[in-house]
Amino acid sequence: MIRPIKAILLRNLINLGRDKMKLFMNLFMSGVFLFIFSFVMKSATPGMDHPMNYLISGIIIMTVFQSSLTNSMNILEDISSGFMKEILVAPISRWQIAIGHVLSSAVVSVIQGIIIVVVGLFMGLNIDFVHGIAMTGMMFLVGLTFSSLGLYLATITKESSNFQILVSIVAFPLNFLSGALIPMMALPKILLPIAYLNPMTYATAAFRYISLQMESMPTAAVVKAGVAFSINGFVITPMLSALVIFLMCVIFVSLCVKRFNSADFSRVKVFKRKH
Amino acid sequence: MNTNCIEVKNFTKKFGDFTAVDDISFNVEQGSIFAFLGPNGAGKSTTINTLCTIQEKTSGELKINGNDVTHQKDRVREDIGIVFQDSTLDGKLTVMENLKLHCDFYNVPKIEVKERIDFALNLVNLTDWGKTPVDSLSGGMKRRAEIARGLVHFPKVLFLDEPTTGLDPQSRANVWDYIRNLQKQKDITVFFTTHYMEEAEICDKVAIIDHGKIVAHDSPYNLRKQFTSSKMGIKTSDKDGLVKYLCNHKIKYKPDDERIVVYATDIDDVLEIVSVFKETIEDIEINKGTLNDVFIAITGKEIRG
Repeated sequence: MIRPIKAILLRNLINLGRDKMKLFMNLFMSGVFLFIFSFVMKSATPGMDHPMNYLISGIIIMTVFQSSLTNSMNILEDISSGFMKEILVAPISRWQIAIGHVLSSAVVSVIQGIIIVVVGLFMGLNIDFVHGIAMTGMMFLVGLTFSSLGLYLATITKESSNFQILVSIVAFPLNFLSGALIPMMALPKILLPIAYLNPMTYATAAFRYISLQMESMPTAAVVKAGVAFSINGFVITPMLSALVIFLMCVIFVSLCVKRFNSADFSRVKVFKRKH
Repeated sequence: MNTNCIEVKNFTKKFGDFTAVDDISFNVEQGSIFAFLGPNGAGKSTTINTLCTIQEKTSGELKINGNDVTHQKDRVREDIGIVFQDSTLDGKLTVMENLKLHCDFYNVPKIEVKERIDFALNLVNLTDWGKTPVDSLSGGMKRRAEIARGLVHFPKVLFLDEPTTGLDPQSRANVWDYIRNLQKQKDITVFFTTHYMEEAEICDKVAIIDHGKIVAHDSPYNLRKQFTSSKMGIKTSDKDGLVKYLCNHKIKYKPDDERIVVYATDIDDVLEIVSVFKETIEDIEINKGTLNDVFIAITGKEIRG
């Protein structure tokens, strides 16, 4: 039961490793985010203990989010190259295929996140081993959640150009209303309700809480740092945020598997290659 | 042993109002080679796709090795190997990695994987290309790699959807050599479609499908016997005598330059003519009907049109 999932996971990783261009683009994009935003936004975080931690953690979680969402392009490439047919006629279940793809996409996004962590270490990011592990765990959770969303969108659109448009439409508001780049305190009041509906808000909060090592801080200070939210007096602590993301993850993965199970790939438009 | 490996009963497939396959039934014997012929859009691919479990039937009953293709999908999938018309290999992986991946999907016992890959590559003469990425292979080699992959889990039935389309004549001949070779070694059932009529001659049974219905189903020999007549071109010094003889015996003929072309359906007529005009015949040429003639006689069109 595990073997085909492992096979798909391994195959996707090998494929990415061989696709030098894609590999380079992925790293390049993360690098651009890291440098541009960390320097531009530095002025927006006055009076913080670890300004670099605050910024870089936002960039890390955003990269994981962006990468996991777009990694599902893989499946569209499989459809257009014909390889999807080989998988569909194999004696494996649809859910195994879906999980294999979601896992590989999540793993790739976590690897990208870790690369930024490593680069960040040289730029003033300050974390210890235990927090690093916790961050990786959180990245994986976020990766799984949004890889599922990505796969879900991919099975709806079934075409790479439409998929890219849809991903941009979904990713843009989720990114900018999450506090990852623009701190929640800086958002206009009118946008706050939308931000509170955004799963990325909670992912960012929980992730920042870990990377800023705020365990010993009183709740009020955490709220003030924009890592916990007080909605009409009800405080959503980072722990609650993590729980929200966990639930989101469960919901998105099951939705995606369900959708994948019933998706009809037999009449997908295939760009035929001339022999 | 005359067990049927593929059983199709009253299979119908509709796409909206359009009936792609209309109530067809046929059986394929275990260990035989079966050719499925028809013009484009006749329902060949629909039938193959339904048998391969990637499309749902509208009604009817389809079984492979006794397992129903709708209700026992996984059992059916374990038993079949498929070579699609378009390449379904992963271009970035090497030939061996593609085969290894296939073994993982089909749960081939891990200790047998290496041995089976070697066997399959050897069968299609690709042993030296195992470590080459599929993208850098030629069209013929890709096809062979695909056939090797379709075989590596030792299926009971191998489906080939136009396996030789787009290949040069030599590669085409090779592909059929590999398939026959394998069929002898492993006693598997082969089900294929093709555009090349002469390729269908190697099979045990042919079914011709047109407008979603099976219009003929028999061995190539019987079909040729039933739907075509042999043409005998005779050059004789006694042309008038021959024409008179043919008219008297009500045998169809056609003058062709200095020859008379006789349409002979009965071997006795042929022998009779030869013995009567033994003295005057200068040259004789007998052409047997081909499957292509059968196809044209039945469907009224060439397979490629």
